[in-house]
Amino acid sequence: MPSLLLKLFRRRTMERDVEAELAFHRDMAAAHGNPIPIGNTTVLQEQARDLWRFAFVENLWRDIVYGARSLCRSPALVVTALLSLGLGIGINTGIFSMATEFLLSEPSVTDARTVVSIRLAGNSHASKEVVEFVRASGFFADVVGENEEALVNWNDGAETRQVSTVLLTKNYFAALGIPMALGRGILPQDPDEVAVLGDHFWRSRLHGDPSVVGRAIHLNGRSYTVVGILPKDFRSLIGFGYSPDLFVPRYLDDTILAIYARLKPGMTLGQARAGLVAVAKRLDKEMPNTLPESNRYADNIQVSAVGGFDRIKSETEMQTVGLFFAMLLVVVGLVLIIACVNVASLLLARGSARRQELAIRVSLGAGRGRLVQQLLVETALLSLAGVACGLLLREAMASAVEELQLPLPIPIRLHLTLDWRVTLYAILLAAFATLVCGLLPAWRSVRQSIAPSLRREGRMRLQRALVVAQLALSLVVLTAGFLFLRNLWRSNAISPGFDVRHTIYADVNLPPQAYKDVARKRAYVTAALRELAALPGIESAAAARVVPFNGGTRFGGSMKLLDTGKTLPTFYYWNAVSPDYFRVMDIPIHRGHTFQAGADSGAHPVIVNRTFAQRYLADRDPLGRLFRYGEDRVPYRVVGIVDPTKNLSIGEEPQPQLYEDLSRIDNDRTRLEFVVRSSTPPATELRAVRATLRRAEPDAGLEVATLYSSIGLAFLPSQVGAALLGGVGVLGLLLATIGLYGVMVYSVSCRTREIGVRLALGANRRHVAFMVLAGAARLILIGSAAGLLCAFFLVKPLAMFLVPGLRPSDPASFVAVALLMAITGFAAAWGPARRASAVDPMTSLRHE
Amino acid sequence: MAKSDSPMLLQGTLDLLILHALQRGPLHGYSIAQTIHLLSDQALKVEEGSLYPALYRLELDRAIAAHWGVSENNRKAKFYEITKRGKNLLAAEQETWNRLSLGVQRVLARQP
Repeated sequence: MPSLLLKLFRRRTMERDVEAELAFHRDMAAAHGNPIPIGNTTVLQEQARDLWRFAFVENLWRDIVYGARSLCRSPALVVTALLSLGLGIGINTGIFSMATEFLLSEPSVTDARTVVSIRLAGNSHASKEVVEFVRASGFFADVVGENEEALVNWNDGAETRQVSTVLLTKNYFAALGIPMALGRGILPQDPDEVAVLGDHFWRSRLHGDPSVVGRAIHLNGRSYTVVGILPKDFRSLIGFGYSPDLFVPRYLDDTILAIYARLKPGMTLGQARAGLVAVAKRLDKEMPNTLPESNRYADNIQVSAVGGFDRIKSETEMQTVGLFFAMLLVVVGLVLIIACVNVASLLLARGSARRQELAIRVSLGAGRGRLVQQLLVETALLSLAGVACGLLLREAMASAVEELQLPLPIPIRLHLTLDWRVTLYAILLAAFATLVCGLLPAWRSVRQSIAPSLRREGRMRLQRALVVAQLALSLVVLTAGFLFLRNLWRSNAISPGFDVRHTIYADVNLPPQAYKDVARKRAYVTAALRELAALPGIESAAAARVVPFNGGTRFGGSMKLLDTGKTLPTFYYWNAVSPDYFRVMDIPIHRGHTFQAGADSGAHPVIVNRTFAQRYLADRDPLGRLFRYGEDRVPYRVVGIVDPTKNLSIGEEPQPQLYEDLSRIDNDRTRLEFVVRSSTPPATELRAVRATLRRAEPDAGLEVATLYSSIGLAFLPSQVGAALLGGVGVLGLLLATIGLYGVMVYSVSCRTREIGVRLALGANRRHVAFMVLAGAARLILIGSAAGLLCAFFLVKPLAMFLVPGLRPSDPASFVAVALLMAITGFAAAWGPARRASAVDPMTSLRHE
Repeated sequence: MAKSDSPMLLQGTLDLLILHALQRGPLHGYSIAQTIHLLSDQALKVEEGSLYPALYRLELDRAIAAHWGVSENNRKAKFYEITKRGKNLLAAEQETWNRLSLGVQRVLARQP
């Protein structure tokens, strides 16, 4: 009704029109000699106004003003409601922000919906020739490649540091249309030595100096020109908050690249995939994949979107994270309900006090709907104010998260902006809160004012029921939190399978151009190990490609046993180590021995762990067995069997592991790890180790730390879970306790007269206090029982987030939580009980 | 509302009369009342208390359109004219009225 809306704004004009019209009519009637009609102008105007339906909007406005004024008269209610709702809504929107940002954010490219990620042969990365082939086929509008796991050595003048870098093809910025904050992106015609900086790196390491653009920085011993700086809210193509510090063109021929393509206008994912299959078939013919154990390119082709839901569907690890966030949202949703019930209780109490006011309105002709509308408008005002507080809390959370530095090997930074999704969610929460908080009290007050019950408020059955519900919900939330705390405790106690207390760990990134030759790398390793072992305070030193919790390389392949001729599919965690590795890490060698120099040129020696032996070599004595992988010419021989260690997370099940000799493999990577066992506390040897390695190769990027501090990644999931859910659990308990306290206080104040009578008739004061406590105990008991029952079923799915060995239905958790609830509940009831026992019969009998 | 000596008009009937009166061209409120009064040989007298609500309702229903103009004696007055929709409404109301009056006549013509 657009005309109606127009009329709303021209109401005064319309009223004047009506008056003018009537005046004209009267004048004409008088002029014609007709008697002045008796009609009532006011009634006419009222009728006209009713016709134009101004009534609804006017009433609404009046309700808002009146509601605001009456709320201002009860500041205690407003403050409590704002706190409860603000916390509840704030936490909900905060966690929702984190979830949408982490899982669903779109990368900062132009038109992200037409950019897709491509996998050929089921591999995440491919060689540069493959990328070039796909690009030259012309099937896509453009094709780019990137390697996001690179580390580049940056010399800032004083020290050489490793910086997390993305290596890319030169058409990357132009093809994807990435917005820049300063300068420009890398162009195809640029020389190789150009770089683009990430915002965080620029601000923290280069002091946010805008004149850096155009100047040189020293990477990998060469001088690179900075051409541009990315904006603060840049989101990378890989997603999940990954925020690299540098972007440079690919500088090694064998860097493998992840492939992204921009679709031609109007192309669908299905068409893209079909076209890609054709391109891949051509690729197989012209450039067949020569690596052993690899598929043809045309097998297992995946084309997936780079943002939103589609991306999560293709990454299975992210689905676990997604489930974690979903669970978290449910838990904080329960906390919000607890908070809303608190506010509802307060409104219920207030409602009974306003019975008289509502009764007068009813007698003046207000309909039931009008009264409910008025009360709901008040609640809506509270909810909106609560949302405002909640959004402020969310902003605080967002700033905290931006500053957070997680102990991860790759930099992850989340930008929690207030976008339309979060706002919509907040509005939905407000509507939900209004209904939950307001509907019940409104309906109840109206019912009472229309047909007032003569029975006194002493029973308060509804409010007691609400408190019981709150206690039950709080128990569920608390159980979840407690489980995660226990999980953290347990995971700290799990042994990773190697010694973390006496070990130092060094991450070395050799300058790639100087160390292209494998012999040079081997020489470096030998020299470095000799120097390190010679240090006083150092028992032994070893080198490895991978150190647990700081990386993991998984391989899968078909293994052919040479003695029985059987072929089995296997997968394992791979590593290449120097002979002293097991001694340094204190990994027991179960059978056989470590690598020895000069042995057995007919086969590569390998060491496997017990899980590998049990799973794949159990039919015969594993020691000394020969097997072959794929088309390799040289077989492997098992020379030793070691105990298993953890690989990536502390809670994982034992996995098969295979170790090769570092000095025998064709080592193509320039990144190496050293582990050093010290007889003195490791922190004291850090400087010596660092100095030794710097002497061995001054241009290498170096990070030295105790192994204990560098395995933070392993405990991160359990720490995050414990922090989040523990905090939420405590919040839920607090809110429920406030609810219980409120109800007890109100109950005592209602029963003051009854208590006065009892005391006057000779009851013991202690007996009165006991009566109040017994009432509270009954509520706590019923609430806990209901809560325990629900919790028992509801926490079962949490098993996927907990370390093995901790069952969610372990009775110890429930007992502890119930005990905690009982203690808190009694603490809450103590105050009202004391107040009850302090009632003076004389004043209370004069109360009414 | 109406005086005791002139008959009570049903709401729909009043709408019918107003629309009929506007068939020739736009009129202001007083003229409409006068027209009905004269055409009924002074049997029907429409009070302003019933006329104007009916006019506003018809205007909201978009059966008539209003505009301010100048009356015969040079005074500002609000004129109403019938719209296409109003013409359709007029035909429908006329149909209803015919059926109603026919029905009443038939009942009164026969003995119970």
